[in-house]
Amino acid sequence: MGALKQGRAALAFVCVVLGIMLAVQFRTTQDIRSTIPFQRAEDLSQRLRQAEKERDTALRQMQEMQNSTLDETITKEAELFRMAAGYLQVQGPGVTVTIDDSKRAMKPGENPNLYLIHDDDMLKVINELWAAGAEAISINDQRLVIGSEIRCAGPTISVNNGRYSPPYEIRAIGDPKTLEASLKMRGGVIETLQFWGIQATIKTQPLIKISAYKGTHKYQFAKPVQEGAQK
Amino acid sequence: MTLPILAVLAGIAIGLLFPVSMPVEYGKFLAVALLASLDSVFGGLRSGLEEKFDNTIFISGFFVNSLLAVLLVFIGDRLGIDLYYVASLAFGLRIFQNLAIIRRYFLKK
Repeated sequence: MGALKQGRAALAFVCVVLGIMLAVQFRTTQDIRSTIPFQRAEDLSQRLRQAEKERDTALRQMQEMQNSTLDETITKEAELFRMAAGYLQVQGPGVTVTIDDSKRAMKPGENPNLYLIHDDDMLKVINELWAAGAEAISINDQRLVIGSEIRCAGPTISVNNGRYSPPYEIRAIGDPKTLEASLKMRGGVIETLQFWGIQATIKTQPLIKISAYKGTHKYQFAKPVQEGAQK
Repeated sequence: MTLPILAVLAGIAIGLLFPVSMPVEYGKFLAVALLASLDSVFGGLRSGLEEKFDNTIFISGFFVNSLLAVLLVFIGDRLGIDLYYVASLAFGLRIFQNLAIIRRYFLKK
């Protein structure tokens, strides 16, 4: 042990240097983790995983289609189109948005219209919901389909040619979180409405039902174009 | 035996207190240098236990080994050979060897 004693100072010095290097290396390694190339790689790998998942589902769908007979395919397609047309009652996760006129006391001389819900407010909400990926929407149990109008009808609004007065209950099926976030966005629809005291509550629900469209789709003027005979 | 450990802790404290950071591209070199110096320290401990400790050899070994390792990795980088792994493997093996000898020494005592 005697030889070690004389080298004590040297050993201690070297160990200090070693410690400094350890600390610096530790910090450098941490820096690497937060650099852009590293994050980019992680980002890309995540995208790859997602793409792979999509590919797998597509493959499965293709196999299903190949396995099923023509009849089954047609029934399935018909079901899909019936759902798209609103002829089927649908259910799934989504949000319920209740909107009511402002209960705030009006200041004298102010336009009372500002405190009421209008068709364009409703349109904005509905538009936002469609944009957020809603798959089916109804207003006061009236299913919105292609050609459903939302327009001003005196103190009420007209949806599918029926009159509805506030409070309005909008139901939308889709990813509840996305739908809720799309409405609650800063500077979004709900914030603008609430500025005037219009009451809007959003409830996310794991299961809501949206009734079917009770009318019929009529095509008086539009006719399908035959493939190949376009000229 | 406590002195080297204390010294390492002091070094870590100094390193953390002074925010010196290496550029990321040089992280590899520092890693190799670190491994080399770790090897030197264990080598020094071992020779001390074997009563063969030489101050000059120890100090020169410490610096020359780390610099040589960095140089080797640098050249490997330029030539497209990943000498980084070779250096880590070699130093890792030596560290384990030294550790084994130190352990035996303590067990025999």
